[in-house]
Amino acid sequence: MGPGILEVLFEYWPIFLKGLLGTLKYAFIAVSLGSILGALVAMLSLSSHKAVHAVAAVYVNVLRGTPLLVQMYIAYFFLPMVLPALNQVSKEIYVLLALILNSSAYVSEIVRGGIQSVDKGQKEAALSLGLSSAQCMTRIILPQAVKNILPALANEYIAMIKETSLAGTFMLYELMYTRTILANKFLSWQPLFIIAGIYLICTMALSFLVRLMERRLKVSD
Amino acid sequence: MTEQLPLIETVGLKKNFGSLEVLRGIDEKIYRGQVVSVIGPSGGGKSTFLRCLNLLETPSAGKVFLDGAEMDPKSKDLSQYRKRIGMVFQQFNVFPHLTVLENITLAPCKVNGMPKDQAEKEAMELLEKVGLADKAQVYPRKLSGGQKQRLAIVRAMAMHPEVMLFDEPTSALDPEMVKGVLEVIQKLAESGMTCVIVTHEMGFARTISDRVLFIDGGVVCESGTAEELFDHPQNPRTQQFLSQVL
Repeated sequence: MGPGILEVLFEYWPIFLKGLLGTLKYAFIAVSLGSILGALVAMLSLSSHKAVHAVAAVYVNVLRGTPLLVQMYIAYFFLPMVLPALNQVSKEIYVLLALILNSSAYVSEIVRGGIQSVDKGQKEAALSLGLSSAQCMTRIILPQAVKNILPALANEYIAMIKETSLAGTFMLYELMYTRTILANKFLSWQPLFIIAGIYLICTMALSFLVRLMERRLKVSD
Repeated sequence: MTEQLPLIETVGLKKNFGSLEVLRGIDEKIYRGQVVSVIGPSGGGKSTFLRCLNLLETPSAGKVFLDGAEMDPKSKDLSQYRKRIGMVFQQFNVFPHLTVLENITLAPCKVNGMPKDQAEKEAMELLEKVGLADKAQVYPRKLSGGQKQRLAIVRAMAMHPEVMLFDEPTSALDPEMVKGVLEVIQKLAESGMTCVIVTHEMGFARTISDRVLFIDGGVVCESGTAEELFDHPQNPRTQQFLSQVL
């Protein structure tokens, strides 16, 4: 059996901490950049232009309909051949790119849903007052959509914290990667329970914060 | 009256939703200062007709003129027409994320570039008129249905429109709220504002209207003064409709 879980935690906590920070960092980068990209995709998918809408739909369907792990493998082995420039920066960028693109597909659906959830009478009222389509979006639709978008976006961050565990496969230093490090020290099972525990604490704490946020947003409605 | 240029004129106005013909050719003239009520059975095209007048619906065929100038639905800037036409909706459509005062000042400030303090001063005067001055700083969720609709009316008035369109303004209200809203519309009409009102309130339509249109099956079946239409309807469909609702 070897040493106990607590023993391993006390001895190697800096490794786990570094792994956790990596996880939070990669999830944050993926969701932040994914949100910007996702918002753009959402605008495309709301376009009345059929071709533009179709491009957005294909993008979202491909990224949501294939496993993230497969996307990461493609990013890791195929992208360096077509985009060798990024290799100069670091190999991890390719994996991160897969995370960002994957997240953008989910975020675009969140943003699209948030915008569509605003009653269409709001848009009609704004237009009838003479507001332009752009003013209508920024002054009337988005401020109301944000209330639906923010909690869902926070949930996407929580999901992404778990998804980044796949990045350890490609040697990115995140929480799951600590297993690989400690396996070299003949610790096979203890790190797994510690890793699972840390993930659980993170997701539960963040879920609690999301619920608080949802309640706050409801009050101001 | 007939020498005058109509404020709003529709010529051969048609609207299809897919294969469904909702409007099948409407030629109407609405003159400045007139109060025109539009009555008829549900699904007959009344609301669609009204929504075509400020191009919230794009006509499938035909033309709409505002003060003699054709409104081009393909124009990049439809707001140039819409800001001259106020609209009040059945579901109020007040902006829930803005205070009562901000609901009113938004369009004058953002569309007309009016300074904020002037817009607020005018908004307060309007709120005073409809008995909502004490609600200026609250959010619409604190208002009753009747108060929301009165807010929606003054929000449209703040743009100094040349004509007001009302789309069943009292249909979503509790019965005890109807009177207050109708009084506001009546005051507006008496002040000389051109109004087009889609309504199921026959008594109200009768007292307030200079002219009444009966729309069914996507056409104006009959039109005339309130007396003509309500007391001596000529068209069998008008007669049948009125016998059911009166």
